[in-house]
Amino acid sequence: MGRRVKTRVEVEGHIEEVEVELPQEDLPPWQQEGLVWVGKGVSRVDGSEKCTGKAKYTSDILLPGMLYGKILRCPHPHARLVRLDTSKARQLSGVKAILSHENTPPIPWFNDSSLFDQTLRCVGEEVAAVAAIDEYIAGDALDLIRVEYEPLPFVVDPEEALRPGAPLLRPGGNLLGGRSIIYSRGDIERGFNEADLVVEDDFSTQVQGHACMETHGSVAYWEGDYLTVWDSTQGVSAVREGIARALNMPISKVRVITEFMGGGFGSKNSAGKYAVIAALLSKMTGRPVKVMLDRKEEFYAAGHRPSSLQYVKVGVKKDGTLTAIYLKGIGGCGAYESYFFPSRFSMIDALARPYRELYDCPNVKTEVYPVFNNIPVHTAQRAPGHVEGTFALEQVMDQTAEKLGLDPIVLRMKNYSLKDQVEGVPYTRKALDQCYQQGAEKIAWEHRNKSPGKKRALICQGIGMASQIWGGGGGPPAYAIIKINPDGTANLLTGSQDIGTGSKTVFAQIAAEELGIPANDITVTLADTETTPYAPNSSGSRTVASVGPAIRSAAADAKRQLLDLAGSILGIKAEELVIGDGQVYSKRTPTQKVSLKEIARKMGNNMIIGMGSRGPNPPQAAINTFGAQFAQVEVNTGTGEVRVLKVVSVHDVGRVINPVTLNNQIEGGIVQGVGYGLMEEMVWDKGTGIMLNPNLHAYKLPTILDIPEVVAGVAEGADPANNIGAKGVGEPPVIPTAPAIANAIYNAIGVRLKELPITPDKVLKSLRR
Amino acid sequence: MKGFIFYNPRSLKEALSQLKEAGGKSKLMAGGTDLLGEMKAGVLQPERLIHLKAIPDLGFVRQDQDGLHLGALVSLDEITVHPAIQKRFKMLAQAAQEVGSPQLRHMGTLGGNLCQRPRCWYYRGDFVCLKRGGEQCYAVTGQNKYHAILEGGPCFIVHPSDTAPALIALGASVKIAGPNREKSLPMERFFVPPRQDIARENILETDEILTEILVPYPKEASRGVYLKARERRCWDFALASVALLLTIEEGICQDIRLVLGGLAPIPLRALKAEELLKGKPLNAEVIEQATQMALNGARPLSSNPYKVELAQSLIKQAFIMCKA
Repeated sequence: MGRRVKTRVEVEGHIEEVEVELPQEDLPPWQQEGLVWVGKGVSRVDGSEKCTGKAKYTSDILLPGMLYGKILRCPHPHARLVRLDTSKARQLSGVKAILSHENTPPIPWFNDSSLFDQTLRCVGEEVAAVAAIDEYIAGDALDLIRVEYEPLPFVVDPEEALRPGAPLLRPGGNLLGGRSIIYSRGDIERGFNEADLVVEDDFSTQVQGHACMETHGSVAYWEGDYLTVWDSTQGVSAVREGIARALNMPISKVRVITEFMGGGFGSKNSAGKYAVIAALLSKMTGRPVKVMLDRKEEFYAAGHRPSSLQYVKVGVKKDGTLTAIYLKGIGGCGAYESYFFPSRFSMIDALARPYRELYDCPNVKTEVYPVFNNIPVHTAQRAPGHVEGTFALEQVMDQTAEKLGLDPIVLRMKNYSLKDQVEGVPYTRKALDQCYQQGAEKIAWEHRNKSPGKKRALICQGIGMASQIWGGGGGPPAYAIIKINPDGTANLLTGSQDIGTGSKTVFAQIAAEELGIPANDITVTLADTETTPYAPNSSGSRTVASVGPAIRSAAADAKRQLLDLAGSILGIKAEELVIGDGQVYSKRTPTQKVSLKEIARKMGNNMIIGMGSRGPNPPQAAINTFGAQFAQVEVNTGTGEVRVLKVVSVHDVGRVINPVTLNNQIEGGIVQGVGYGLMEEMVWDKGTGIMLNPNLHAYKLPTILDIPEVVAGVAEGADPANNIGAKGVGEPPVIPTAPAIANAIYNAIGVRLKELPITPDKVLKSLRR
Repeated sequence: MKGFIFYNPRSLKEALSQLKEAGGKSKLMAGGTDLLGEMKAGVLQPERLIHLKAIPDLGFVRQDQDGLHLGALVSLDEITVHPAIQKRFKMLAQAAQEVGSPQLRHMGTLGGNLCQRPRCWYYRGDFVCLKRGGEQCYAVTGQNKYHAILEGGPCFIVHPSDTAPALIALGASVKIAGPNREKSLPMERFFVPPRQDIARENILETDEILTEILVPYPKEASRGVYLKARERRCWDFALASVALLLTIEEGICQDIRLVLGGLAPIPLRALKAEELLKGKPLNAEVIEQATQMALNGARPLSSNPYKVELAQSLIKQAFIMCKA
């Protein structure tokens, strides 16, 4: 069938070209008028299951005879494993298996290491694992394993790691790839020469944890040579591929299931060591094995948003036209390169992307240094790079606007770009101007301080804003199947996963819209590699935009078949029929109708199965999401405490399928953004490489009292990028929060906070200067 | 967490005898909100746990002519809502309200809040620090933004309690039951700085139990306030806190008690500042002097000089609020 085409797909901001096979011409866009289910604030289809505890997460899986696995982790930031003695642990009653480099093949992992490597490059790295009849015995067994380490020199701070003579993590040096990653367009020198004003400054951002409510983990179970794994993941297919590769087995022999999932934020995109360890322990014992990380391990061994140092220099004409943007960035990789996109691009370099894309500027140079240091490896976290880069860039834009005497929004509009300047192609849609306008109205932008810092009271209020660019256009491949049941209900199957965003609900709405069957009559089955067709990882804000169009196609396919059948029952041509409200009726004489239940009943066991796939993205175009946030803050100049009172968040994310789940994403993004801006930080002791706050008390996530009033909005309208007109909203709202807060703090007290998180000590220090 | 034997005594006497029998190898548990965290983190591995919650008559709130009697097992939540405390001991209710989160205030007790262990992330982490019998205080050269600026050394913990500064400002005393006798002492003598004993934060011996807190009635003319600065608005310990009880009559400061929290290894009375103000009219100038004096002798570590300024600001705010 079909034809093969190449199409551009963006993954976590990175553009890839993929080849897809298309079964048929794609569907025409929906007409906004007349949409019944799409745009409706349907509450979560699985809400009651989650609230009542009926929903089974990986951590709830309990199988007969199941063993519990625990992992022994390295206490040193850099060491060589000299001797391992498991004899005592082996003798402990209740211990069923012990796994280490001694009885495991050197399964490749990260750059130059293996599953149980004998060179250990950070505290928390995996040394051995135990399976026992309960968690306590497994823990006791770990204490009985004797390990002799030869400690090696180490370096925790990324800037120190870059200095000559710093302890090396590997012979090639601490700079990933041996050189900086440079992007350049135009002529940066000429750009600065043409500038009337040059603004430069230094910024730093911290390490942020994902702090998933459900920790990372797996339950593995073998039947013969067939392996089933329940995994808390954002991508069952990626995990299947990873496990199959690690264990050197065909993917058809591995089944991965994620029925419910308790948060990932980018940290659960591939098979973790814990999954392979669970599978190996299960194989050794012939029993199911569960390995769930505890909270401390979750901080040590589940990735984090990397820290950054950014030196930014911007050249601008008197009228506000940008002539040059330069960035020098240093990012701490941790002990390895993120496994997320090995060697294809660095997640550290992602922080430079806003500098290249957010504003129209002919001369741009970014120079990024990804550095190895002796802390655990970083990974993707909600809008990787963009969150870090936007924090600095959007403050420099405000500094520039102030020096030029321009309204910050006017400066941004002056440098508005209608095309993707890196790829040289136009955007399918960009309504950031509407976001600025709506946001400014909703926050009462005109009420911001005109001369920040002039009046110094104990409590000062201020308003600030920041913009956002991100991908979120999704793309192929993604597939869906819809089965019509004899009682007129439908089953939707797709290999996508609902990681807490509400995609299950949104999927039901999309199918309901096309099919004419109420959303509550559609059962959605997700994320089982054995029973559901392929869909991509739920990451990069791409789930709805990738899977949604495939679901619509599958629903359209099922509908065609239903109408054929209805036509033969009613004696009317299928083209003259429509479906709505559970009925099929004639367009001309709506009284001529038959209910779906009636049709389905007549079908008996003859099934209608609709199949759909995601079509290609439009050629020669970039699909991006945009948005702006406006923050209102209150600063106590005596204590340095900052309170965010209100955040207005307006985004261009195309058509809204469900305003309730959309607002959930915007609110959640702002909560995480407030945490990033004001309090969250993973802190390492530089003298030992030990993390100081690997728990949910000392690692400070915002509490309900820290969360501001959120006013969410969108730039109305559909994006022509795909057949449902929607783009993703998962990541966009976390991007501009911290810079909007920092700009608001400046507006309140006339002092610029350039280091994250903005804690009272930093506010007081800055005020004293 | 390691295994342990759990005791559930029904009387104070029974608890005391179990405590004695354990010979220092047991820990007392009231709400458990602090203790269980330490056990899970592997900081403490007691062989026995003596659970106090089943003992009747340790959870009372009673008033007589001496003042307010609070059993050590009164929950922090009850302190925040009790009408009598709200009415005459507002500062204590304020301080209790600042503790932890609603869940922690329901589980946590007043006695537990006074006896809680420090929150230093080296002490609570994978470090054998001075307090845990090691050779060094890692905070001295490490990450020390939360540590002591006053009375620190050789260990630089800060005392984490919110209720202790308020109670000391109110002139509270504590009652302690031991194997042979009961004793009472002013609460400010209850706490022990690391210079005196590195391993503990209060005078309780391993066979003693804190049973009661007595808070005398503050003078009718007095005003009190508890202020706390922190990084997030709930479930966070003080970067600095101030408890101030002030009696002003005819413009003259008749009596004053000023106690600092989050700044020293013990809740610290600013005695010299109190001396300076007593008997004087309270104007901006003298308050400024006293504020400076309260932080005299501060020796900040590399990352916490901000605490000096922060504490001074809180003190000034406290005076403004008490004078208003």
